[in-house]
Amino acid sequence: MDSIVNKFKRSTSTWGDHNMLVNFDVTKEFSLPSFDIPPCHNPIEFLKHNTDEKSNAECRIKFKHGTTTLAFKFQGGIIVSVDSRATTGSVIATQNIRKIIEINPYLLGTMAGGAADCTFWERELGRRCRLYELRNKERISVSAASKLLGNIVYSFKGMGLSMGTMVVGWDKIGPNIYYVDADGTRLKGDLFSVGSGSPFAYGVLDSAYDFDLSAHDAAELGRRAVYHAAHRDSASGGNIHVYHVKQSGWENLGFRDFDDLHWEYQDQPKPSIIGDVQPMMLNIQD
Amino acid sequence: MDYNGGTVLAMAGKNCVVVGSDKRLGVQNLTLSTEFQKVFPVTEKCYIALPGLATDVQTLSELFRLKCNMYKLREEREIEPLTLANMISSTLYGRRFGPYFCEPIIAGLDKNNKPHIYGMDLIGCLNFPDDFAVAGCAEAALFGMCESLWEPDLEPDELFETASQALLSAADRNSIVGWGAVIHTM
Repeated sequence: MDSIVNKFKRSTSTWGDHNMLVNFDVTKEFSLPSFDIPPCHNPIEFLKHNTDEKSNAECRIKFKHGTTTLAFKFQGGIIVSVDSRATTGSVIATQNIRKIIEINPYLLGTMAGGAADCTFWERELGRRCRLYELRNKERISVSAASKLLGNIVYSFKGMGLSMGTMVVGWDKIGPNIYYVDADGTRLKGDLFSVGSGSPFAYGVLDSAYDFDLSAHDAAELGRRAVYHAAHRDSASGGNIHVYHVKQSGWENLGFRDFDDLHWEYQDQPKPSIIGDVQPMMLNIQD
Repeated sequence: MDYNGGTVLAMAGKNCVVVGSDKRLGVQNLTLSTEFQKVFPVTEKCYIALPGLATDVQTLSELFRLKCNMYKLREEREIEPLTLANMISSTLYGRRFGPYFCEPIIAGLDKNNKPHIYGMDLIGCLNFPDDFAVAGCAEAALFGMCESLWEPDLEPDELFETASQALLSAADRNSIVGWGAVIHTM
């Protein structure tokens, strides 16, 4: 009997180990999950050849990419707004994916790039944030949380992880947005948009952004920016989710279907972005 | 073929045909237009649908307009769908080693009002289906939809509904196809 059990007991990865609860090793908490690497000469090249569209257009495995996510600070906290479409190549895999990941009741992470990479690592981030809370008896700051995530992905740099996420929360310093991506970039800022639809969202955001917006107007701006991005970018669409991060934590403001919003906005008069700006004096020679 | 997006289908019914396309024009992910024409009338009773690279869609539609007008002047009658299909096939094969990136579909009624639909690949291999023909970026999804929704001897109104539902559902599963559909019934 023992010999049969021993045959299956050998496991090289902590994540595959179903005896984790029994064999819980404290020193292993800080280590990164170990992954099985394919037994070929150059596993990184092998992975790139089969999955990276930029280096090989006929790669057989196309990861789910393509999105619009944005987050901006204003007087009432932070608005985070995302679409919900996942595409594999040009096929729409789903119109219903959740791109805002609730790490804990006061920290949010957004998903852009590879869907699996984002969900897995942000959940791992949630685990580490909880461990921090238990050890230090206080909530982790957004800066530390984003640093944890950034360092994790940096250790996998070059191996093909694709992730462009914003870690968003309200800690004892105030509201904070950190942009973290799979190259190891970590940037603090007031306004970010990430994803294939981000150029379109930036345009709409920049034209109407004001720090003193009311919470309702800021949410509407976030929604509109993602709507315009989803209109022009084919890899974005589905539903538009908006979250509001306040001092007491985040609040889910619900979602609207992109098609319904399209017809609704068609009927409304276009919001004025020119306002009281002086018209350009053009010297047009006749 | 995935550069500009776009997809078309044609279906045959009882003494009628429908041909339809989506309306999107894009450059990879960026949508440029939501009113791009891909189905062109050749005669009153014959239409060609051209999915694929947008520049070839426009070039080929003009080229076939020229050829059909010349045919009409020489033969003093309108071109029949089968003849048109063969003409298009030869034109495409003429560019065998530098092809047009377009997979045309022809749908029409001949002089006895019998329905004809034809499909072909980008170098002109003709396909003579008696039920439906699909092409473009969402052709895999369209095959599935048409196979399940089509049945023989549909009346014009029913055929229109069937074709619309097939096209719209397939377009919903493809990000570079969509923004509405145009269906022509003959």
